[in-house]
Amino acid sequence: MRFFVALLLLIPVSFILQEFIPVFDWAYGSRLLLVHTAFFAIAIATPFPVMLLFALFTGFVWDARYHIPIHTSEEVYGGLVSQELPFGFTIFLLGLTGALIQGVRPFFRRGRWELPVFMIGLCTFLALILEYLVINFHRGGLETPGDLWWKLLMTSLFSALVSPFLLLLLSRLADQTRYRIQTEGLKRRHTYDGDAI
Amino acid sequence: MSRLNIVFLAVFVGLVVWITLFQPSVVRQIQNGAMVAFRPFIEASSAVRTGVEEAGSEPLSPAQLRAQVEELERDRNRLKLEVIQLDEVRRENNALRRALQYQQRAPLAVVATRVLSRKPRTWYNTLVIDKGLLDGVEVDSPVIVPSGEEAALVGKVSEVVGDHSAIVLLLTDEMCQVSAKFENSQDQGILSGQRGALRQTPDLQLRYLSKEADASAGRRVISSGAGGLFPPDLLLGKVISLEIGAIDASATVEPTVDFDDLKDVFVVLPADSDRIPEALAPEDGEMEALEKPDEDS
Repeated sequence: MRFFVALLLLIPVSFILQEFIPVFDWAYGSRLLLVHTAFFAIAIATPFPVMLLFALFTGFVWDARYHIPIHTSEEVYGGLVSQELPFGFTIFLLGLTGALIQGVRPFFRRGRWELPVFMIGLCTFLALILEYLVINFHRGGLETPGDLWWKLLMTSLFSALVSPFLLLLLSRLADQTRYRIQTEGLKRRHTYDGDAI
Repeated sequence: MSRLNIVFLAVFVGLVVWITLFQPSVVRQIQNGAMVAFRPFIEASSAVRTGVEEAGSEPLSPAQLRAQVEELERDRNRLKLEVIQLDEVRRENNALRRALQYQQRAPLAVVATRVLSRKPRTWYNTLVIDKGLLDGVEVDSPVIVPSGEEAALVGKVSEVVGDHSAIVLLLTDEMCQVSAKFENSQDQGILSGQRGALRQTPDLQLRYLSKEADASAGRRVISSGAGGLFPPDLLLGKVISLEIGAIDASATVEPTVDFDDLKDVFVVLPADSDRIPEALAPEDGEMEALEKPDEDS
């Protein structure tokens, strides 16, 4: 329980830090999506129902802060149209990608972080590309300039690069709060339950 | 999947559907609350960014002095815009006197704002500014900056997210579409950004031009004022190239504004706004001066 409370505090902290992370113009306008990365790390370390709760909480706050109801110009179309990305869409995205990333929990349990790190980058990529596809669907046509892929790749790369630190933080938190991430006979490394390694 | 997981999944899906069906007014209230909560951190990040930029360019001066200089610069830019507008009103007045026809033109009322955050969303070119509902800012209010002796369009207010916060959709975004024309010409088209425009200062596209349009490179593009959303004669950019299609033509336009170097911008308040903020209340006869040509006519 203490572990989940600690994770619950981690999300607001990531939101605050996100405000201080600039856009990297040299990297095709990409940026580190720290909130998404923190959520994916949490999704790896928690059971499915808890992951869904975190998706709900994180997605809701993200949309409350960053949702932009884009209206089509009245000058051109003479009225307003529905929003491209509805409020709450991020919750759906995080729930979907969080469910995917749950598939690598056994690796994290075994103390193998290679695949979880890769999956965090991949899920960041998926979340962004899904957003972009929905925007294209609303606007019509599918435009995929070359810079787009670089932006997606760079954003995903930033997430993947930061994720080991978050996974390490989570494992330390698990140790401190005696939360047992791994459940089956993997005592030789990263027990996360307070036992000596 | 266990029964518990299925129950949680069903509840999750239900909640997501419920949230996506929120009324815009409810969403606005939620976002206003979020903006109030995050405002200190947004301002702190803005201060950090400014500090880093200044540290890299010039020696640091005392904070109070820096704030005063910024305030004076904002005032100077606002006055410059008002002078530009005054000149335009005078020119128009003279022209109309000659033609013995007068059409009253309301002066632009602007409010100076500071850019708090740049491109907070991945797929939208936006800014967050420090003026909002209580400052008279409304959705679709044009946002401008001085460019030499003229005013250049930055974008429009996409959403007012608090008493002192609003989101500006930049001209470089595909969804910010402006009725535009070439200077000293009646050739009109629709100017907008390009989807997935990811470079620092992406080019704009002027679409739906006549195939016979005179769009030589370097020709200036200005707002036409058609539709009434954006004031006429706002500088938008310069033509780089023209592509002629089967039924119409489109031009690639280099924007006038350097969108990555925006620190202070000006929001044009609605002409019928009855909430002229204090910053714009008649001071030193400014508003009076703007209205004087109308009275003379």
